[in-house]
Amino acid sequence: MSSLPELEGLRVRGRWPLPPGHRVAVVGARRPTPYGEAVAERLAGDLAQLGVLVLSGLALGIDGAAHRGALAAGGCTAAVLGTGVDVIYPRSHSGLAEQILAQGGCLISQFPDRTPPQRANFPRRNGTIAGLVDIVVVVEAGLGSGALITAEAALSLGKPVLAVPGSVFSPLSVGCHQLLRDGAGLVQNARDVVAELGGDLAVLDDPLQPPASLGLERQSELGRDPLLAYLSDSLPAEVGHLAARLQLPLSETIARLSRLELEGAVRRWGGGYVRLPRGGGRPSARR
Amino acid sequence: MLARAFAAQVQGLAGRPVEVQVDMSTGAVAFFLVGLASGSVREAKERVRSAIRNSGLPFPQRRLTVNLAPAELRKDGAGLDLAIAVAICLAALGKPSQAGLAFIGEVALEGSLRHVDGVLVLAEGLRRAGLEKLFVAEVDAAEAALIEGLEIYPCRTLRQVLDHLLGGEAIPRYQGRPLAVAAAVECPWDLSEVQGQEAARRAVEVAAAGGHHLLMTGPPGAGKTMLARCLPGLLPPLDLPDALELARVRSVLGELEGTSPLSWERPFRAPHHSISTAGLLGGGTGLPRPGEISRAHHGVLFLDELAEFPAASLQSLRQPLEDGRVTLIRSAGAVTYPARFQLVAATNPCPCGYLGDSGRPCRCGPGAIQSYQRSLSGPLLDRIDLQVTVHRTPPHLLGRPAEAEPSVLVRERVFGARRLQLDRQGCLNSALAGASLRRWAELEPGSRNLLQRWSAERTLSARGFHRAWRIARTLADLAGDGRIRSGHILEALGYRLDELAA
Repeated sequence: MSSLPELEGLRVRGRWPLPPGHRVAVVGARRPTPYGEAVAERLAGDLAQLGVLVLSGLALGIDGAAHRGALAAGGCTAAVLGTGVDVIYPRSHSGLAEQILAQGGCLISQFPDRTPPQRANFPRRNGTIAGLVDIVVVVEAGLGSGALITAEAALSLGKPVLAVPGSVFSPLSVGCHQLLRDGAGLVQNARDVVAELGGDLAVLDDPLQPPASLGLERQSELGRDPLLAYLSDSLPAEVGHLAARLQLPLSETIARLSRLELEGAVRRWGGGYVRLPRGGGRPSARR
Repeated sequence: MLARAFAAQVQGLAGRPVEVQVDMSTGAVAFFLVGLASGSVREAKERVRSAIRNSGLPFPQRRLTVNLAPAELRKDGAGLDLAIAVAICLAALGKPSQAGLAFIGEVALEGSLRHVDGVLVLAEGLRRAGLEKLFVAEVDAAEAALIEGLEIYPCRTLRQVLDHLLGGEAIPRYQGRPLAVAAAVECPWDLSEVQGQEAARRAVEVAAAGGHHLLMTGPPGAGKTMLARCLPGLLPPLDLPDALELARVRSVLGELEGTSPLSWERPFRAPHHSISTAGLLGGGTGLPRPGEISRAHHGVLFLDELAEFPAASLQSLRQPLEDGRVTLIRSAGAVTYPARFQLVAATNPCPCGYLGDSGRPCRCGPGAIQSYQRSLSGPLLDRIDLQVTVHRTPPHLLGRPAEAEPSVLVRERVFGARRLQLDRQGCLNSALAGASLRRWAELEPGSRNLLQRWSAERTLSARGFHRAWRIARTLADLAGDGRIRSGHILEALGYRLDELAA
């Protein structure tokens, strides 16, 4: 697949040409759930460890998580910008952009230098991402999400599109589920992506176990607060409802949630609490 | 020929005695009014002249000089009318002025007396200056009588006052003493009307118990305003000194009720976000008048749509939040007004309001949300101990008969917790900081470790650390527990917002 047509007229900062090997886009919502963020981080990390180049759009949310995941695994990643290659948007990701360059990745743009963020440019950028990769993986996307544009562009170029399923209650998985219904491949872990690329499956850990390579500290389910069973990883649970369902005093419910938050098992999100997926997600709620 | 009479002038929340001196001399007929009199006081010449004539009293056709002493004090308003009229009449009749008498009231052209703002503080200032008897308009008598140690004479007309002074028909002394023990106050808003919202109800209870400022975040229609309105009903009624302090503010603003000037009810003020900084803090021409934060003294200041308030207004709340009073400095002078209010703020989570709402998608971009939330952060938010998310009540719960715990039961716990605090440390937990916090809210080793661990691992700021500490003290007090247990710390840590937590 190394003979994919390179696009003309790209401006690049960092290493160019792109390293040989497979390229996968990991894209999705700008305001993902902690679940989506964790999936993107872990998936990108696993792929990067296998030598796959992870591309994304440097946007908030899934894009940022994908870049971070690849970098955390010591890998190399490339960001395709919707602005000039010398303009970092959002500005809060300027540190991330530097990190990408420092680890041998690159920033790519089809727009002239100093192009500021403009609404119309981002869908065009999404098409460029599709052009640069072998496969597009959509992690979380609501209806009308820009990630679906990337997926569509990939399909029109005859490239496979994969999607990560989510909760049927989660509006941020509606787009992914639509892709799956339309025939996209289902991604549960890096194995599924590698299989699509035609790679060697044996190199990966058992998908049902958290990858040891990430080295995240984990506790066994035993001895954990049964309250966790009532929490979702993508839909915030309201404290009052939890207390009512568990028939616990409200004060105790809040205290137990704080304890779990301190242990890194839950996180405040969307006005309630969500369970943090095992082996993923960042412990801090701060962006 | 010299006559004098005493009145007083409002300056901030103080009544400064003013001596009205009248001199008549030979020369061309004239009427001079001197002594730093503003426009409204100079107009007194016309009112007083007509009032004296229409009361059937002689107005001297001489060279008349009225001096308002002390001359360096700026005089405003019509409250000096009565004293000027009385002094002129005494001078014209050649009668002696009696010592210890003061007169406050505006005169109408036909000689009747009208209400004056600030009678309470004026009466207080006169009593402090050693005056014994105060003549006021009938409508102001109850207000003046709040000051003990002054004989109050309610008057209807200027003629009546003169008759009394000249030995004619005496005005009966005002007998009512409206001072009474603090009475229970009915709050029309009851927590039993709040459906669902357990977390927010608990936060309101904790706020009431410890006097903590409260921020509620939630979509429109979630009931934030309703919850805020329930708060005064959970607080004990004002005690006498506090009620008097509030009455002074209202008196100066002319907002006291004539017949029952003293109210035991805690004020609830909810200014719209279009309010100016002057309206919020105090201001106006001349010496600044009290603003909304002083009207909310000892009560609740509710700022709905907090993010819509001008940033400058919110910044200016910092000093009052810290000190419990506000000092306003203008060219006309500096005044300090009390402003010890409990702040309850409400805000949407994002510009459209529906971020995190289960029933309606939020349409804001991540950048818009960040800048919206950033506009809320900072020094003001740092001073709000309790932060809580309010969710919309699911429709199936609305319209159900009230079954939630009513305010009267919550109030019992709140009163108990407040009593514990006042007995222990003489103030509410919200006022604890630094040394007093360490002294009165000692942490058990387990609780301290927990807080420190959280602080280290969860990037809790120093202010956030102290906020949780104070709240934990209040939670322990609500449970009647002398010690701050780890459960209290953990619950306290739950009262912060997702992204806004500092």
